[in-house]
Amino acid sequence: MNSILSRFSSTNALPANFDNEGGRQDFQDSINGAPAQFDLPGTEPARFLSQYTDVDSSNPAARIKLQHGTTTLAFRYKGGIIVCVDSRATAGSYIASGTVKKVIEINPYLLGTMAGGAADCQYWECRLHELRNKERISVAAASKYLSNIVYSYKGMGLSMGTMICGWDKTGPALFYVDSDGTRLKGDVFSVGSGSTFAYGVLDQGYHWDLTDAEAQELGRRSIYAATHRDAYSGNTINLYHVKEEGWEFIANYDAMNLHYDGPGDNVPGAPGGGYGWDVRTQGLSSKLEATEGQQTSGQGGRFADEQPLTASVQPPQA
Amino acid sequence: MLGLQPGSSTVVPTSAPVGHRFEPYDSNGGSIAAVCGKDFCIIASDTRQSTGYSIQTRYKPKVFRLNDKATLATNGFAADAEAMVSRIRQRLEWYRHSHGRSMPLHAIARMISTILYGKRFFPYYVYNILGGLDEEGKGAVYSFDPVGSYEREFCRAAGAAQSLIQPFLDNQIMFKNQHSTPEHTVPKPGEMSLPDVLKIVMDSFTSATERHIEVGDGLEMFVVRTPPSAQGEAIGAASVDLKAMGGVEAVGGEDEQEEGAVMVIRRELKKD
Amino acid sequence: MNYLPGQTWSSQPAQHHHQFASASYNTDPSAHTSQPIVTGTSVIAIRFKDGVMMATDTLASYGSLARFMDIKRIEKVGENTILGASGDMSDWQYVQHTLDKLMLREQNENDGHILSPSQIYAYLARVMYNRRSKMDPIWNSFVLAGVDPKDGSPFLGYVDLLGTTYSASTIATGFGLHLAQPLLRKAVEGREDQIEEEEAKRILEECMKVLFYRDARSLNRFVIATVTKEGSKISEPYSVPTSWGFAEMLRGYGPQTQ
Repeated sequence: MNSILSRFSSTNALPANFDNEGGRQDFQDSINGAPAQFDLPGTEPARFLSQYTDVDSSNPAARIKLQHGTTTLAFRYKGGIIVCVDSRATAGSYIASGTVKKVIEINPYLLGTMAGGAADCQYWECRLHELRNKERISVAAASKYLSNIVYSYKGMGLSMGTMICGWDKTGPALFYVDSDGTRLKGDVFSVGSGSTFAYGVLDQGYHWDLTDAEAQELGRRSIYAATHRDAYSGNTINLYHVKEEGWEFIANYDAMNLHYDGPGDNVPGAPGGGYGWDVRTQGLSSKLEATEGQQTSGQGGRFADEQPLTASVQPPQA
Repeated sequence: MLGLQPGSSTVVPTSAPVGHRFEPYDSNGGSIAAVCGKDFCIIASDTRQSTGYSIQTRYKPKVFRLNDKATLATNGFAADAEAMVSRIRQRLEWYRHSHGRSMPLHAIARMISTILYGKRFFPYYVYNILGGLDEEGKGAVYSFDPVGSYEREFCRAAGAAQSLIQPFLDNQIMFKNQHSTPEHTVPKPGEMSLPDVLKIVMDSFTSATERHIEVGDGLEMFVVRTPPSAQGEAIGAASVDLKAMGGVEAVGGEDEQEEGAVMVIRRELKKD
Repeated sequence: MNYLPGQTWSSQPAQHHHQFASASYNTDPSAHTSQPIVTGTSVIAIRFKDGVMMATDTLASYGSLARFMDIKRIEKVGENTILGASGDMSDWQYVQHTLDKLMLREQNENDGHILSPSQIYAYLARVMYNRRSKMDPIWNSFVLAGVDPKDGSPFLGYVDLLGTTYSASTIATGFGLHLAQPLLRKAVEGREDQIEEEEAKRILEECMKVLFYRDARSLNRFVIATVTKEGSKISEPYSVPTSWGFAEMLRGYGPQTQ
């Protein structure tokens, strides 16, 4: 930036109080296309930022609400890497979006996941696709680039928790990178507010020799558990499989459909039927209860008539 | 590990120097929304600008035409929004000079994202919705957070009345929580006709005006579509005679832009 | 400090963090106006049939002290534009100086072009926004009024220390925002093209009186400035008659009897 400015300063074409009118940033745009240097407030950026932005939902008084709240997971097994994420973004208690793409397709062999500040992940991970050489970059190197970049901004208020997943010469490779600069190699990671719930399912079902179908089912089921128990996770679930020939997008599932109906008929690895258990209402409600096989209206209204709540017509449980 | 619930009041200590610190942001109220169809896009905003409880003006546009196929709605801090829009316009002009054509919508979206992220550490307090036509002529809506995370969608509301308008659009445009019956099949999202979408957008804002103090005064709806051409029969959104609705202005026509590619429909909203 | 369960990182300011390499912070608080010192109160302005009209009193306060009683808070900028200021009076003098330089530069060009009110407004708004972006604001709220010399169209715009801008047919700053603006809107909105110069003057005088009654930082000595397509004029300071008879029997106004 300074070199560009000094290169152009000799022409003296700019008025004396150029800076007062704020021409510099516009001028910089024209030269670089993208901002070469970040604009900073006058004082320490981290304190400034934590005052006005709400990247970790830690300061409800902050007026600039950034999207966050997530469950993401990725695990390595003999068939590659399963990457599974939810799609909910929250700003405070408001669901800002239910259709966020939290898997970032860096290139045909590399995936990144998104937790924390959505923009931080999108921006820096997209930068990674620019990495090129005579051969494909290793996952270790790509993730190291990312962790080095965010480490250089440490203390400035970035928020990012990501998993870089890919297949390189060493086989399937998985790294966790966050905005503190932490970079960890591992087999199983889950990141985000719902990660504890996902780990619960993941850990009890995980082993190296999973079949592809079993592995995909485990990823799906784990994120489902998080959407069920974590209010900040939900809406839909995206499932990816990283293989030797590159990553493959498997499917997008509605979390509510998984609860009631499961991933669909004949899905390999899925047991069939919904992941949720049947809610037991008998004896717990003072309302009149439906007998077995009786048609009832679930929520009232003509639409609900056609789709009685499964709960109210289930036989009593053992 | 101490896990604090989000939303609990862990107020960050702000060690202010003597006297109060300068507060560089303001919130200027209002709301914006955009909905796209198969071959058109509607980008709307109210025209009130306020600070706190006082109305500054009843007419300050928040929607800006960028070119024949792109229109940007801004909301949040008005001064930031204006500075940002003028930067975007400048970049679009340079693009036209060097490439001899208007920047396509997806490229504008990415550019806005990088401009916003360029101020990651001193953000523009602006929520943006970009609406228009993509390179296939299909309607498109892109929504952004203040630091540049973005996503393509069918419909999006932002601003003061986001939480009033978005659920309504989810139900009426995306048909969320509607179920098909033998007599009535729920249509697929994104296939509604231009007049139908216009009605829903107008209802969103009249309703938001009823329930939100920062929304009101006037409504501006920009309609982006493939303009009705002189030869051949106009089909789809292009065949809708917007001029007949009254309160309509054709914008554009400057430079190589096509006259009437973008129309603005203006309506009154309650002023109390 | 992890704010979400399962969040293994934090975006909070670190105790010891690396200084961002290319950043140059201005941490010297003395370089900035961090609060206004000598201040002017409301500016009020309206549109009328032939142009625009604006009023301010002539007081500059030092806290609660009525320090300077004969200060000019409306100035001409060229022949077709006037600018009224509330807020910090030293920053106001700086802005006058800046605009004087601008107008001088333009005049020296001698290209037959005169800056229109909306162009001066755009310039001023950018200066204000860029200073706020440096966290070094010019602590004023300005009302800029004028008539375009070419097409005779009136202009009335507001800009403040944040760079926030808007146009309207009635504008008030400071206390006037609360006291005068409702009266102005009632008198003017929808009648902009019917109000004669005399009526416009009456409306503003009435508002200045109301402000004097209730704004403790105001003075019953004010100027009214007018811009029409013939040019601009700023009146000599004058007062309006006030009546305090109503206060005689009220506790809290007149001399306390008990």
